[in-house]
Amino acid sequence: MDNFINKLVELFTTPRYIESLLHGFLLTMQIAFFAIIIGLILGTIIALVDTAKRSKWMIIPKFVCKTYTTIIRGTPMALQLFIMFFVIFAIRGFPQIITAILAFGFNSAAYVAEVIRSGIQSVDIGQTEAGLALGLSRLTIFRYIVAPQAIRNIIPALGNEIITVIKETAIVSMVGMYDLNMAAKDIGSGQNMASYIVPMFVAALFYLIVIYFITFIIKRIEKHLKKSDLKTSEA
Amino acid sequence: MDNIITIKNLKKHYGNNEVLRGINFSLVKNENVVILGPSGSGKSTFLRCINHIEEPTSGEIYFNSTLITNKNIQKIRQDIGMVFQHFNLINNLTVMDNLILAPTKLKIMEREAAEKKAHSLLRHIGLSSKAYSYPSSLSGGQKQRIAIIRSMMLSPKVLLFDEPTSALDPESIGDVLSLIREVANAGMTTMIVTHEMNFAKEIASRIIFIDKGKIIEEGTPTEFFTHPQTPRVREFLQKVL
Repeated sequence: MDNFINKLVELFTTPRYIESLLHGFLLTMQIAFFAIIIGLILGTIIALVDTAKRSKWMIIPKFVCKTYTTIIRGTPMALQLFIMFFVIFAIRGFPQIITAILAFGFNSAAYVAEVIRSGIQSVDIGQTEAGLALGLSRLTIFRYIVAPQAIRNIIPALGNEIITVIKETAIVSMVGMYDLNMAAKDIGSGQNMASYIVPMFVAALFYLIVIYFITFIIKRIEKHLKKSDLKTSEA
Repeated sequence: MDNIITIKNLKKHYGNNEVLRGINFSLVKNENVVILGPSGSGKSTFLRCINHIEEPTSGEIYFNSTLITNKNIQKIRQDIGMVFQHFNLINNLTVMDNLILAPTKLKIMEREAAEKKAHSLLRHIGLSSKAYSYPSSLSGGQKQRIAIIRSMMLSPKVLLFDEPTSALDPESIGDVLSLIREVANAGMTTMIVTHEMNFAKEIASRIIFIDKGKIIEEGTPTEFFTHPQTPRVREFLQKVL
């Protein structure tokens, strides 16, 4: 125990270690943040195509989206990361961080699309029919009727997806990027502290704090939506 | 020709399942047509094809003398109100917003004018106090009566009722039926799918009977109920009366 505390003190008083840790943390957050943004935007687009009314203009876009989500969800994230690094962006000097952001963003988009699609489809079809019967356009129906009801179903699952992306970025250490996970391993290695337990414990704490914070925000949003849900759910 | 709706050889298939097998029908102004038939006969599908809530597989539907197509249907729906079995009030909107949504979004009425009309209709059905409630706080009968006045906000030329009382408790059925009766007596042209035989007898100017996707008999209520022509209708009436 004494040893643990000594190492903890050593970690937090050695600027080099702290810098490494913060550097790794920053990289993790940057990758996660931008990947989530890409995932949300691309995922929303895919979900909208997927739930759009069938017509001859939509056959190809729908097929592309379906294939995309099937491939992304059917292959390991680590493999997708390797493909991005060693095949698609195997360009000398191409910024690694951008490759990583794209890899995680493209991956997350498939899951976000599924979350949004199922949220939209969980809204009773009668709600859309009522809007149609009143002569409203599909866009108006989506904007004022379907989307507000779908969001209630989407937010909790979207929260999970955001958390998953943050944690999953840890695999960038597999391609040699210096993220929080890698920093912990580096600091604990023989050339440095020669003990893994403390840096890994601290790295875990960093992840935990961020994710706890995000869970808290999502819960607040859910609670807020529930309040109006009480008024709006079917009796 | 004062046909409001003319239907020629309307067919609807779901895959290999032929739900409507060639319906010819016309609706004249001020008529109240009640559509009867066993469940699964296609009567709801027939009603829902008229305003393209279900897209017909083939056949022609004319509103006045305009052929309904996918291009013009949205505009025509403003003139064809519809009341659903499950009410379909918009869950995330108050009663007032349900009523004024279409008139304001379609830019047919100013907000104040729409609200004024909504208030007067609500007062008429005795639900003024519910104007700012959400649908979840209403009973089935209240929801359906609001759905009916919602369909009237755009002053449609025809109202389609798709089993308007089938999801209601016996006590609310009466309230909803008397509102439909009142609307019809005020000169609204209506088409009503229902299982309420007494109501059908009383309100219908004409009854059509659909079986296996075809109209097999039609006539005035007296003809229909007292002198049914086909064995199928006689059998049906024996069971339900």
